[in-house]
This record gives sequence, structure tokens and C-alpha cells, in this order.
Amino acid sequence: MRKKPRFHSLKKLKVRQDMSRWTLYSLSQLKQPNVSTRTFFQQKWTAKADTRAYHGEQIREKKWARLFKRSIPAVVPMDHKYLARHDGSEQAAGRGAGADSQDKQRTPPMTPYMQMAYYPIERRLDTAIFRALFASSVRQARQFCVHGLVTVNGKKMPYPGYMLNPGDMFQVEPSSVMFATGAQKERSSTARRVAKEKAAARAEAREAAGGQTPRQPKPRSAVPSAGEEPTPAELRKHLQAMMDDVNGVLAEDVGAKDKQKFRAFRQTVKRAISLWRNASPESISTLDTQFDFLKTQLAGRAAPSTPATAPDAIQEPLFSEEDQAKLRQAFEKLRLETEHTSAWNSRNAAAPYATPWRPRAYMSAFAFIPRYLEVNQNICAAVYLRHPVARPGLAEVPTPFHIETGQLAFNWYLRRR
Amino acid sequence: MPPRIRSSKFASLPRPTPSQSSSARPQSITQNTQPSRQFSQTSCQQATLRRRKFYEWLNGPGKQLKEPLPDSTNYLGAYDRYGNLVRAGPGYQRGAAKPQAEGESKLTETTNKAAAPTEEAKTPEGQESLDELESAARKEEVEKKDAEQDDSKLPPETAEDLRPFPLNQYFRSQSVLSEDLREAIYQRVKRDGATVSLASVEFGVSNERVGAVVRLKQMEKEWIAQGKTLAVPYSKAVLNMLPTTPHIDTTDPKNKGKRPIVHEPINDLIVHPATRQQLWVPVAESRHFTREDAGKAFDNSLLPADERIPHPELVKAERELASGLSFEERRKLAEERFAVETAQKKREEEAREAEIRAQKVVPQRRWDFVFKDISVESAGRNGRDVRGVGWRYGLPHQDRKKGQVKIPTKVEA
Repeated sequence: MRKKPRFHSLKKLKVRQDMSRWTLYSLSQLKQPNVSTRTFFQQKWTAKADTRAYHGEQIREKKWARLFKRSIPAVVPMDHKYLARHDGSEQAAGRGAGADSQDKQRTPPMTPYMQMAYYPIERRLDTAIFRALFASSVRQARQFCVHGLVTVNGKKMPYPGYMLNPGDMFQVEPSSVMFATGAQKERSSTARRVAKEKAAARAEAREAAGGQTPRQPKPRSAVPSAGEEPTPAELRKHLQAMMDDVNGVLAEDVGAKDKQKFRAFRQTVKRAISLWRNASPESISTLDTQFDFLKTQLAGRAAPSTPATAPDAIQEPLFSEEDQAKLRQAFEKLRLETEHTSAWNSRNAAAPYATPWRPRAYMSAFAFIPRYLEVNQNICAAVYLRHPVARPGLAEVPTPFHIETGQLAFNWYLRRR
Repeated sequence: MPPRIRSSKFASLPRPTPSQSSSARPQSITQNTQPSRQFSQTSCQQATLRRRKFYEWLNGPGKQLKEPLPDSTNYLGAYDRYGNLVRAGPGYQRGAAKPQAEGESKLTETTNKAAAPTEEAKTPEGQESLDELESAARKEEVEKKDAEQDDSKLPPETAEDLRPFPLNQYFRSQSVLSEDLREAIYQRVKRDGATVSLASVEFGVSNERVGAVVRLKQMEKEWIAQGKTLAVPYSKAVLNMLPTTPHIDTTDPKNKGKRPIVHEPINDLIVHPATRQQLWVPVAESRHFTREDAGKAFDNSLLPADERIPHPELVKAERELASGLSFEERRKLAEERFAVETAQKKREEEAREAEIRAQKVVPQRRWDFVFKDISVESAGRNGRDVRGVGWRYGLPHQDRKKGQVKIPTKVEA
């Protein structure tokens, strides 16, 4: 059998969709197509081969040929002031009557339609993950999909060939993103020791469980479903518990090593909110809304105080001013704590990338995010806003090739060749 | 890579400084003495030549691209073929400039005015020039630069410096929203209750992007509320490598008289397929032939550009301004338009709600059964209509056929 050619070969330089030094070198060696001494067919063939090595080389040619579309989306930016002032008749005014002898009108820049020949591939999930800088190559992005690390609109999407629709949000596991874009880990004695210890612990656990993997304890759902409105006695109890936690949190340092107090406070807040049946978790999902919700509910309870059902209800407001201030402070601290743990970039032998985290070598030369994606790097999520478009002077499909190569490749896929 | 011409202002070239490479991998090739044949003593010349060239390039011109430039983009298009940064001044030394404090702006950012398009001569086609929009953010930096007269700092990028692929002139790395700007958009929509189109006009960000930013930011805040770990080191590193659009807080007294920087053209007109062809329509010279008529000539249902752009209300407001209405009258008209719009939205929402309420739902342990009214007739005459429900006798399923794709085509949000 014929040997499979190298993916990155120095003999035949191909630009690939990844962030490697081989690709960077091929990029620097790229040249314009030779159009003088070769036949049209030869030119088209080479252009197709070169561009296909970059765009969707993981897709079979037949599949791509079915994806190809000859009509390419384009937009023209309009100026609303001009549209308001003119109704379009000024473009024809004076034609033939001698009024069209002004100085030459500025021609808008050319719209590079044929640089967009591969725009259907940009719709694929794996390519979009690579373009959003969540993976270091399209092949890695594909692996992320297949391994179930990618969700689309919150649902797991194991198909790298899923065609994103405008408005789809895709999300990759942040630890995988940090692994993909981070510098590589060097093998070290610590890492080896940690791995050995881990393996030993696993083996021990397996032994203890009698050859079975140990069952993870199920997280207890801490939502006591009460009636529509909690009774004042219940409320007071919860309030006391929450205030205890508040005091604990305020005593704690933000970067504290054991985060149990923060966690406990988070739990009590959740429990307090779940007392109200009508409060859906969607409407109070952020810290600010949680705080506002608690404030209004707890403070508002005291004033009308339902005299019919509970005449012995506490008459003083459940929340005093200083309690409110304290609660606000505790919420602020909760936010800071989360951000601190996220930003804290420490040495961690268990992480699959070099720690403290730093971007991988040569990443900056490939770091760009096209406009058809909106990316939030903090949560490693992105929204596919629209299909890539051509506009005057700009094609949104990132392609490393000269315009003539693009034209030749586009012409190859028009059926008549 | 086409050679980039260095401007003549540089007397001495900034030599690539050896950066402390933390990677242990040897970047230079050791002399390969493997013979080409088993019986031959000659070493394999071809392969080593190529490899030598590769490593020569990596250790020479390519060395600058290994680590990111602090507070700047670092693309292949910014270097000439010898690995010199084209835009760097003679006094520039890589790694000499300290990373700026957090409060200060990045190189691509500007904290100055003149960002919004001022009273420049409009193009006859009624189009916005993308280049001007993008360079506006960088232009101000030049003035600041001149005032400072600091050679050790980098000037802002030109359009050429933003090319990751030097051969492709029609692609460049476009700026992304900075963290501040995202937060400001989120606050404007969520806290102040601004509509998406209003926020879009205010920040110079397209409608879809405003929606996406709010959605992503909401999710980020949920993560913080849940105590999940965010990828902050990654985020900081990536945003430092990309050109970003800064946020200019107009409520801040420090920024008095400045206008927010326009991130992207917000009134993009989609090229309608019917207008792709050339048309010859003879029209009497006396006829007042407007955009509307031109649209009709292409396609009977084609609306004029004023109504097809994402912000038709801007055109209407501008017309009212031109017609000389007073501020009060214009505000009244705008409010009327807004009321009509909200009423329409409310009606649509109610219709959707009513449809959901009409369904009978039987909740089960894992799944809910939903019963809808359907009609047998909807299967159509040949029984193959997509609205048809259930299996019909004599009609085999198509899903095992060749070419039938099983990958889902959409995921409900």
C-alpha cells in the first residue's frame, strides 16, 4: 500500500488549519499562482489542491462538492443619512442632458466574491470552534465534538459536521480550551509522581469496591418545596441561618484556601430563594437579581405581614438596614471569590497544560476572530451571528491564499471545467 | 510572502532580541548524518536542506512570532521578510516597553474623540466606508503618539499590519469588543431596559451582536452565581492578542464631548439575489425614477433599501429632521412608532402563548406528552407533504436511503 503522505510535509508545503510552526512556515513561503506558463486546467487543479488542503481537508471531496454553492452572500453598508436625503432619482438626474460632467466619481472597492468560495465550510461546527480560538486546529476541534465536550444551545452535539444556524450558541469545556490553546506541559518528575499516585488510588478504590468502579454519591437536592408563601416562622429560621453564613463569609478572606463557607452561603441563598414557589431559577440566576429578589421579598414580607393567617407574625421588618448592607457585602465577596479562583493561575501538576497557563507558541500569529462570530472567552462560548459575507474590499472567510488562487479554485467547482 | 517595503525613517533596524524561550525543545537542528542508502556514505542532502531552511526561518524571521507582542497584535503581515517589525520606530526594542497598567489603553484602543463619523463628504453610493470606520479607532493613537514622542513604544497598527495572511489583501483581523464594552452593552439592555436596536445604534454594534453579547454575558453572570471556574487567564491572553474596540463612557465627565467608537457598520444591506443580474430598463427622461421603482424593476416584491436595512427607523428620523419638524413633534412621532412596534410584539407574544396553552400536556417522569390538533389532510395529495404526521400505508421511510443526513439541522435554543 502507498504510504500516507505527511500532514505537514516540507517537500510539499501545505497551509493547514492549525496554529503550528509548520503552517506558519508554509504561510511565509506562499506565492502567487503561476499563471503564465501553465494551462488553465493546471492552474485550476493546483489552486483547488492548495485551497482544499486548508479548507475542510477533513471532509471528503464528494461531500464538499455537494456543499459548494455558486451564489455567495454579500452585503453593502448603507448610510442612513444619505438614504433619507435622496430618493435615488439623483443617480439618473441629467443623464443625456449634459448635466453629468462632474469630476470622476469614486468607485467603491471591489467585492471579493470568489475569495468566499469555501464559505459553507465556515458553517460547520468544528471549523467555527477553531475560528473562535477554542482549539488549536480543526482536527482538534473535531475531536472535541466527538468526545462530547461541545454543546450547541446547551445540548451536547457530538457531530463535528453540524451546520450552525444564525443565532446558535456553542460552548466548549473551558479546561479543554485551556489545554488546546495553552503551552504544552513538559514532562516532569512531579507530574509522573502525581500520575502514579492517582493510578494507585484508583486501583485501590477498585479493589475496595470489588472490581467495580465506585459509585459517586448523588448530590442531594436541597430544595424543600414549600407552599406558595413561606410562613413567617420558616422565614425567620432561614433568615437566621443566612445571617450566620453571612457573618462567616465576611470573616473569610477572599482567596481563602477552604471555600466551605462560601459554598455554604451559596447554598443558603439558593434555599432561601426556593422558599418562594413562583421564583423560577431562570429569572434569578445572576447574583444581582438574587440579591434584589431577596431584598424585596424579605423586606416586603414584613409590611403587609398577612394578619389573617399569622396574627403573631413579627412586626419589625425582617431586614434591618445594617443587615442589608452586610448581605450586599457578602454578595460582593461571593462574586470576588469566584473571579479570584478563576483568575488565580497557579502551578498545578494535575492540569494537562503547562502551569501557570500561558498561550502556546506561535498562537499570536493565528489569533483573529472573524466578525460573524461573537465570542465570550470567559465562559468559552460563542454565538454564530450570521453567515460570512463579502463586502466591498473585504471577504469574511479567512483564507490565506491570493485572490487569483481563490478565483481559480472557485472556477474549478463550477461544474463546467 | 510578498516583501514589505520598510519606510526610510529607520536608521538602525531593531534586531530581533532573543527572548527567553521557556520551551525545552531544541529549535535548531542537529547535523543529520544519516546516510541516504544503506550502502552509501553520502548523507541525505535533499531532506536536510529543506529542514535546515525551515529551522533557519524559524530561528530567524519566525522568531518574533513565537511569543505574543505585549499589548499589540503580532501577525505575519506586520513583519518584512527579514523579520523586522515594519511599523516599529528606530528606538524600539522588543520587550523593552513595560506592560502598561490595567487602566491604560492598549495600542489599538483609543481614548480620544472623533470616533463617530463626522461631517465628511458622503460617498455618492450612500455607503459607509469600512476602512474609515476601522482606522478611526487607530487614528487617534497617532496624534497621541506625536504628542508623546516616545520611540520605544509601538505606533498603532496600519491595515497591513493586521493581516495574518499577507498574500490575501482582502482579509484582515477585525477588532472584537473589549470586556468593558460588553459589560456596558449588557447593562444598557438589562438594567436600563433599552431595546436591542437602540443599544445597537448607541454603541455602533449590529443588532445580532447586541443580542449575542447580552446572552453570553448573562451566562457568564450565571456562572459566577454558581461559583463555576471561568477561563480568565485564557480570556486575558486572547484579548491581548486581538485588536479590540474600546468602550468610551459618555456619561463620564472625563470623556466630555467624545462619541462612542463605532464597532462595525450597522446598516448592512443584504445583496438580494434578484439584483445580481444586470437589467436594462428604458425609462422616460421625464420620469422621476426612484429607488422604489428600481426595486420593482428587479423583482415585484423587492422593497427599497430604506426598508430593508436593519435600522429603517434611523432613515425615518433623519427625514423628519430634514423636513424641519420641531423636537417635540419628532419625539411624539418616534413614541408613536415605538408604541406600534411594542403592540405588534405583544400581539405576537400573546399568539405564541395562546398556542402553547391550547396544547394538552401530560407530564411524565422523564418526558412530557404534548397533544396537538392535527389534520389528516395536511399530508397533501401525494401524502409526502412535510406537514403530514405519522406513517402512511404504502409510503416507505426515506431515512435509510443514501445521502439522507442524520445529523440534526437545528437545535432549539
